[in-house]
Amino acid sequence: MFRYTVKRLIQGVITVWFIATATFIAMHSVPGDPLSGERLTNEEIRANLEARYGLDRPLFEQYLIYMGNMTRGDFGISFTQQNRRVNDIIREHFPVSATLGILAVVFAALGGILWGALTALFRNRLPDVVIMFLVILGISVPSFVVAGLSQLGLTSLNALFGVSILPVAGWGTLLHMIVPSLVLGLGTMAFLTRLMRSSMLEIINADFVRTARSKGLPPTRIFLKHQLRNAILPVITVLGPAIAAITTGGFVVELVFAIPGLGRYFVQAVQQLDYTVIMGTTVFYGAFLVFMVILVDLVYGFIDPRVRLE
Amino acid sequence: MSERTVRDGGAPLPGNPRGDASPDRRDGGDSDIAPQRHDEPALLAVDDLHVEFDTYGGVVKAVRGVSFSVRPGKTLAIVGESGCGKSVTVQSIMGLIPMPPGRITSGTAMLDGIDVIHQKVVEGEDIRGSRIGMIFQDPMSSMNPTMTVGDQIAETLEVHRGYTRSQAYARAVELLGMTHIPEPAERAKQYPFVFSGGMLQRAIIAMAIACEPDILIADEPTTALDVTIQAQILDLLDELQATTGMAIILITHNLGVVARLADDVAVMYAGQIVEKGSSEELFHQCAHPYTLGLRAAMPGNDPHREQGLQAIEGTPPDMFDPPRGCSYFARCPHAMRLCEDRLPERFEVSPHHYASCWLQHPASPVEVPGLYRGEGEAA
Repeated sequence: MFRYTVKRLIQGVITVWFIATATFIAMHSVPGDPLSGERLTNEEIRANLEARYGLDRPLFEQYLIYMGNMTRGDFGISFTQQNRRVNDIIREHFPVSATLGILAVVFAALGGILWGALTALFRNRLPDVVIMFLVILGISVPSFVVAGLSQLGLTSLNALFGVSILPVAGWGTLLHMIVPSLVLGLGTMAFLTRLMRSSMLEIINADFVRTARSKGLPPTRIFLKHQLRNAILPVITVLGPAIAAITTGGFVVELVFAIPGLGRYFVQAVQQLDYTVIMGTTVFYGAFLVFMVILVDLVYGFIDPRVRLE
Repeated sequence: MSERTVRDGGAPLPGNPRGDASPDRRDGGDSDIAPQRHDEPALLAVDDLHVEFDTYGGVVKAVRGVSFSVRPGKTLAIVGESGCGKSVTVQSIMGLIPMPPGRITSGTAMLDGIDVIHQKVVEGEDIRGSRIGMIFQDPMSSMNPTMTVGDQIAETLEVHRGYTRSQAYARAVELLGMTHIPEPAERAKQYPFVFSGGMLQRAIIAMAIACEPDILIADEPTTALDVTIQAQILDLLDELQATTGMAIILITHNLGVVARLADDVAVMYAGQIVEKGSSEELFHQCAHPYTLGLRAAMPGNDPHREQGLQAIEGTPPDMFDPPRGCSYFARCPHAMRLCEDRLPERFEVSPHHYASCWLQHPASPVEVPGLYRGEGEAA
């Protein structure tokens, strides 16, 4: 178990290094640089600035310098924002995105498992049909539409009661978090529901469930200990990538609900070719996701004893 | 080979066949009657069981009027080829057939005055696992892969006996020892995927007998195992029956297994019991051509025998539309005209030996000789 963990962590470091290198190459392949956005008519000023930021050096040397700084935990200074270090941007805005993301993942996982199990138990009957219809909606309607519609719903609700029951946008209190995280997790929840349903249908009449029935166990015990625990395994496998999709995909929802998350910087930086912010946010997100996937795999080992030995 | 003196010597069973194992529930019924061979009251009496399945092709009548009884402490073997309804019969008794598409249209199975087909829970306790235990064909898939073997055995005791977790677990380790699993304490902590097939089947047997059931249903318990392990599992069943006094319903298509373990045999064909009686009667004086065919199909172990396997020609009838007359008619080498039209009635060949066939039926019309089907046509 310990060796497995160490092995996975080493693999994770290599993955992050690969992400950083690929991003570095891709970023520098884009025409222009952070300075070409400014109105710099004077070639000398431009040359001075390039020398100041080290952009005049050979690309490989820039790469080595950047990697060196990064391993020391220094992501550099933003090219476009006044006096802001990339570390500070991440430190300030990532907790907001992470809170939103974790809430969304929890909501998606619990909802997906619950609805999926329910539809399997009521296969082809009314609850199954209704929930699966909603699932198709959840998968096919994009989050910016759901976000907009939910805001419309919230304003109508608040207008109806004459008081603000749930805030329509912004960030700060738990009430602010509820609707955005529901919207953000909706697509993943729909996907997990489908996965859970098919995996539960496979388990529902498995040989070992028949054995459990032949032992005369109460139905709730059979459901929890024998069916659910085995049906949940594929859901946990995709939970790592699902966390990836949710935390990085939060940009649209953050924008619509005016949430000060990291997503905005992530997207803006690419548009403005803000080299240090691109590298910082990408590498940070990459490392975060790799870590989450490893964590999910380790948790998997606790639920399914068969993967523990490898 | 372990011969059971209790059974084969014809010694009368003690009033409580289980000794002091469970004094609470066993005082009614058979304890005050001196049991005699075959005349003792049945422990489990199945009567006129009908089971159907809805499929896209129509309704499959899988079990059509099956009746049999199980004597306390004895082994009843139900034999027949694949698809004859033997597994469906026992799974219906245990409430294990999926409904829908399955449906039990009629029939009862009386265990101590309770119809277990319609009433699974008696005084808050499920009879499954407590009074009837069951083991299955494929041990590798019959245990929950995410629970330790010990926990799965202990679970039964927690639910039925109200043991605490640690009590139940300690008993589970004992039970693993009883089924001759080496180092039971270590093994109980392991997960099923670590076990071999034979070991798993032992663990499943330990699980099924955890609450000392009156009946153990073994649904082809050795089919998925290799031959040497098969023999060990059969020895184990034999031994456990001798020590616990439980009855066994053994589903098999292996007549060798029947000869070795069974006291009584019921032969099933196309969802019906065509012949039943004691093991000796059925091996030496069988009255139904199907039983005869099964016996002839048994491979011998004489290396010099030149003859190949003797198969029964043809295939079982279509269960969507079972034949009007005898279901074995199409394959029977002795079929008569009568057999095509009229379902053979059951008759007593000799005491406690019944067959459903017109050949030796006392009420059979006397048009018989010379009318064997096939004598003119088949050539």
